[in-house]
Amino acid sequence: MRVAIIGSGIAGISLAYFLARSGIDVVVFEKRYPLYGASGRSSGGITLQFDKPEFVDLAKESLKIYDRVQSEVGFNFLYRHDGYIKVARNREDLEKLEKEVRVAKTKGVKAKIIEPEDVKEFVPDFNPDAIEGASYSEGGVIFPWPVIWGFAKGCKEMGVEIKKMSEVSEIIIEKGFVKGVKVNGEVYKADYVVNAAGAWSNEVSSLAGVGLDNRIIKEEVCVSESLKPYLDPYILDVSTGVYLSQSVRGEIVGGILGSEVEKPETSSTFEFLTKYAKRASELIPKLKGLTILRQWAGVYDVAKDEIPVVGLTSVSGFIQFNGLGKFGMCIAPALAKELAILIIRGENRKIEKFSPLRLKIHH
Amino acid sequence: MKSRKIVCRCEDITEEEIIHAIEEGYDDIESLKRYTGATTGACQGKGCLMHILRILSQKTGKSPEEIGITTQRPPVNPVPFYVLAEGEKE
Repeated sequence: MRVAIIGSGIAGISLAYFLARSGIDVVVFEKRYPLYGASGRSSGGITLQFDKPEFVDLAKESLKIYDRVQSEVGFNFLYRHDGYIKVARNREDLEKLEKEVRVAKTKGVKAKIIEPEDVKEFVPDFNPDAIEGASYSEGGVIFPWPVIWGFAKGCKEMGVEIKKMSEVSEIIIEKGFVKGVKVNGEVYKADYVVNAAGAWSNEVSSLAGVGLDNRIIKEEVCVSESLKPYLDPYILDVSTGVYLSQSVRGEIVGGILGSEVEKPETSSTFEFLTKYAKRASELIPKLKGLTILRQWAGVYDVAKDEIPVVGLTSVSGFIQFNGLGKFGMCIAPALAKELAILIIRGENRKIEKFSPLRLKIHH
Repeated sequence: MKSRKIVCRCEDITEEEIIHAIEEGYDDIESLKRYTGATTGACQGKGCLMHILRILSQKTGKSPEEIGITTQRPPVNPVPFYVLAEGEKE
């Protein structure tokens, strides 16, 4: 059996890893270079607090996978589990956090609602007057770059070829069955083709003649100069979408949750910087003196119903693994593990609800 | 003591380390930047990008034009939060 995976982000690369570990012949096609897409532009926030219970299970499992894989491949993913704080600036948003905490607790995740004043326990310079309330839960921040390199290293050691600058131009289908892909004019035979192309998944899907109508979200991020360890937890302001955390390199990495765009594009805007700077320094006034070094943008895809698109399609051998939204780094490895089982053994144990066949796409 | 040729002062990276990364397969400029951290420190590449380009060109035999440079990202110089926040109304 031969599997061609399109995309070397966290979805594609973790799937390649699990398939190769079961002895499957895998090749990964990356249209630019690994980290070009959303995984390379992510701020690395890892939360176990979601409104959807199934996401909690996937995130818990993914953390276990990260922990195991980093020792298997001998690569430090730089996961710092100093907690994940969500703050709400109004009553309505705080109620959403209360719901998420209830969900987390039923899943055995340590999570609680805390008073504005209590945020200072975790972030001494936090301004409690800016918010209505907050939640604190397990989680933290991972560095997505070594995650991708680590999985890639493991893949290569098992014989997986990761081909960069290799955009798939054609998916070859005969009588409803996938036969391979065409890349840079060359044909590669494959029994399965997996669409793990993130923000470019709609385009890849159309190569197979399979409808996919994921929304594309563009999100901007920036980093500051480096500081000594200062900010322990990852902070997300659910009312403004502003988030920030400190990387292991000492930079304050922050952004604002993205909004929909028509096509994948990654231009940076000045509007983002001013909005981020204002909102972030309302939460932690001492940030005012810090300087911003660099800004960038990333794009990811999300299904219309905000549920990942993972599994078999109407074309035999063409598989979707996309639509993970902003939670790719949190949940992709667990989905990849289950998808590998589906591809190898035909068993669909835990990912039926993510089936692409649920989508009603009009061609 | 062995002599060390520092090519990226912000992140303290030697020429030898850059060569090692290229040999590991991080042989395009964007991957090399991410793997070594060169051009991502305080200078944002102002001091090191041309060194990295030279080494990559020498190792791969590609011309600097063919290799290209990393995406140049704003701001040109570091800007404090308080200055930026002033630009935001309300």
